[in-house]
Amino acid sequence: MTATQKRIIMNRVALTFSTLSTLIALAFLFWILAILVMKGVDALNWNIFIYEGSPPGYEDSGLKHALVGQLILVGLATLIGVPLGIMAGTYLSEYGKNSKLAHTIRDISDIMMSAPSIVIGAFVYAVVVMPMGHFSAWAGAIALGIIMIPIILRTTDDMLQLVPGTLREAAFALGAPKYKVIKDVVYRGAKAGILTGVLLGIARVAGETAPLLFTSFNDNFFTTDLNEAMPSLTVTMFNYAISPYEDWQQLGWAAAFILSMFILGLNILGRLILFFGKKRK
Amino acid sequence: MASIIDIKEECALHVRDFEFTYKGAASPSLKKITMPIAKHAVTALIGPSGCGKTTLLRSFNRMHDLYPGNTYAGEIEFEGRNILGAKEDLIHLRTKIGMIFQKPTAFPMSIFDNVAYGMRLQGIKNKTELSDRVEKALQDAALWKEVQDRLKHDANGLSGGQQQRLCIARAIAVEPEVLLFDEPTSALDPISTQGIEKLVIELKERVSIIIVTHNMQQAARVSDYTGFMYLGELIELGHTEELFVTPKEKLTQEYITGKFG
Amino acid sequence: MIDRIFHNMTRFSALLILFIVAWIFVVLFNHSTEAMNAFGFDFITKDEWAPNVDKFGAYAAIFGSVVSTFLAMLIAIPVAIGVAIFLSEIAHDKIKGFFGVSVELLAAIPSVIYGMWGLFYFVPILRDLFGGMGIGLLAAAIVLSIMILPFMAAVTRDAMNTTPDILKESAYALGGTQWDVIKDVIIPYAKAGIIGSLILALGRAIGETMAVTFVMGNVHHTPSSILSPTTSIPVTLANEFTEADSSLYFSSLFGLALTLLIMSFAVIAVAKFYFLRKVRKGQ
Repeated sequence: MTATQKRIIMNRVALTFSTLSTLIALAFLFWILAILVMKGVDALNWNIFIYEGSPPGYEDSGLKHALVGQLILVGLATLIGVPLGIMAGTYLSEYGKNSKLAHTIRDISDIMMSAPSIVIGAFVYAVVVMPMGHFSAWAGAIALGIIMIPIILRTTDDMLQLVPGTLREAAFALGAPKYKVIKDVVYRGAKAGILTGVLLGIARVAGETAPLLFTSFNDNFFTTDLNEAMPSLTVTMFNYAISPYEDWQQLGWAAAFILSMFILGLNILGRLILFFGKKRK
Repeated sequence: MASIIDIKEECALHVRDFEFTYKGAASPSLKKITMPIAKHAVTALIGPSGCGKTTLLRSFNRMHDLYPGNTYAGEIEFEGRNILGAKEDLIHLRTKIGMIFQKPTAFPMSIFDNVAYGMRLQGIKNKTELSDRVEKALQDAALWKEVQDRLKHDANGLSGGQQQRLCIARAIAVEPEVLLFDEPTSALDPISTQGIEKLVIELKERVSIIIVTHNMQQAARVSDYTGFMYLGELIELGHTEELFVTPKEKLTQEYITGKFG
Repeated sequence: MIDRIFHNMTRFSALLILFIVAWIFVVLFNHSTEAMNAFGFDFITKDEWAPNVDKFGAYAAIFGSVVSTFLAMLIAIPVAIGVAIFLSEIAHDKIKGFFGVSVELLAAIPSVIYGMWGLFYFVPILRDLFGGMGIGLLAAAIVLSIMILPFMAAVTRDAMNTTPDILKESAYALGGTQWDVIKDVIIPYAKAGIIGSLILALGRAIGETMAVTFVMGNVHHTPSSILSPTTSIPVTLANEFTEADSSLYFSSLFGLALTLLIMSFAVIAVAKFYFLRKVRKGQ
């Protein structure tokens, strides 16, 4: 067999292995998705939205408490994380640019994006829960907010940098002060990208469980009091699924399904915005 | 009608009614090209951006096949067969028709391994044979003296002009019949450019060369034949001197005198 | 005037990140001192986690974290590279888009769900195949590897895509096959980026909590075999933080958190500063 014939065979083997591993990986992942959809849809019913949580075995059991709680926590986290993230990203792109400080901030922020979220939970426990003396929605939201900031910071920084320098120069040439240039020209030009970054940040944070475990904690009661422990879909999912009660497990799958649809929806929405934003150009 | 001279000498390649359409394009990028490529000579392809000269060049070694979806028709004859056929052994074809690209493309390996790469692909393992042929290729590419002491060093340490000569050495090490040059000096400084042009003229003794260039003076300096292309058509092909001094087509005349770029 | 206020607002927000990160280290450190003073080095080296007698040696948790992550990498790395090769070189345009987006969407699924699937659907299979309880180190490693796979494949693919087209074409032009180009050009060229991506994924995997909590077993001892239930640092924190009842217990947990943060930070920093200098998404 010639060397070239050997190479051609090796090529076929390698490509087959690569395709196979992709199919196997996707098979596992679609298996998980299929279970999620099947069990989730199976467990869905109107009770979920009407009733709050209750001890196992109760007829009128639902997820109202967890759904509302999740919205509150994520909403509050967004209010904390988005303005800070966008402001910080603006600093990096418009003021800091390539300075040592800016690079350091970018690097640290990048590392934070991959750092363990449960550690953030421990941190917030120490600085919020312990002084307050009890769990609270504030603590949970702050933990989620801290996780959100690096994500928003990075996407804002990247998107703002994509706006061409000539646009800024044109605005300056007309006599506009810097903050106006940023507000009217740069932000507007990067609008779609920043929005996508925000949506993706929310999606990422909405799926977090670990940082809530000992900050906002969790229980079965519907509440909107931010000073109390706040139930969340993620922790409820965890508690219910790991319990030995079948009706609780059912609710766990329903929660998983609802949350995943929400997160996937945000992801798809974010990508569509970016896609159409590009198309218009 | 295009003015294409009849080449009396032997031809390395012969293009006949070659038409090429990029994937998803509304109209063909190359419209029924017919042209002979003389053996052991340098044929330059010139023309404004978008005229199709690079598209034509990349058809000779079927580079377009790397990106599925394109369609073509017609014939390119090489070594007595049509190399556009579906059964054509592309791997073998590319050892016979080599290519040098617009930017130096040294592989992330040592100088020696770069030049030996094509030979190793063909299964040549004998250390003596490899190093002999590597040395010869580097000498033919006028690079040997500069690198003989650092063959094991990474090729990235070489300057742009040296890297391009390395790519030439790599290409001629497999002893091809034809060499395709795609704007080989567009990323190089004037001195390196001179070196490459000198090489091209020397190499034609053994290899048939087709060179695409947007620099008319370069075409005039290095080539024996020049083909002028415009909007996907071959407008004129002739002896370089004649084409530049007394072009037969009006369009050629206008391009050469700079009426459009 | 407004200009200066705006400038300061943005600068404040940016510096806040640095401040928060530093603050996290300081807080965790402060809260760990009690445990560090009580146990010294034994905290990391002793497998002796006994809350009822207030004795805490975290070796089991650290061991569980390191080994489960290592095993997960063993499984995930070849598959991720295979997928990355598929996504960057093999798939044609239409499929490329579909698969690429699928992989990225799958990376967005909350890790809790991987844990739930692992517990209810995968563990029984392991039980049937190998006996025992099914939950334990092996289950955790496999669930972890599946969880980290989409991210790993995506960043490795990004690293491979930095290879310039004409470099690949040069190899094809000499008669190379796709595999020749992949092994001789793409992988050497993108070597730093590929290794960096794999290490980055490792840094993430070490901190993974929810996927692993369901299937690890929460037994605070080093495992006697790959099938034994055991624990890891995040699993310990998740299960025990709300049950800690003495200040030494708490301090030990904070010590665990600090250990995890340092481990993860170090790995990610190595990936980022040593390997990933060139690759930034989209470049």
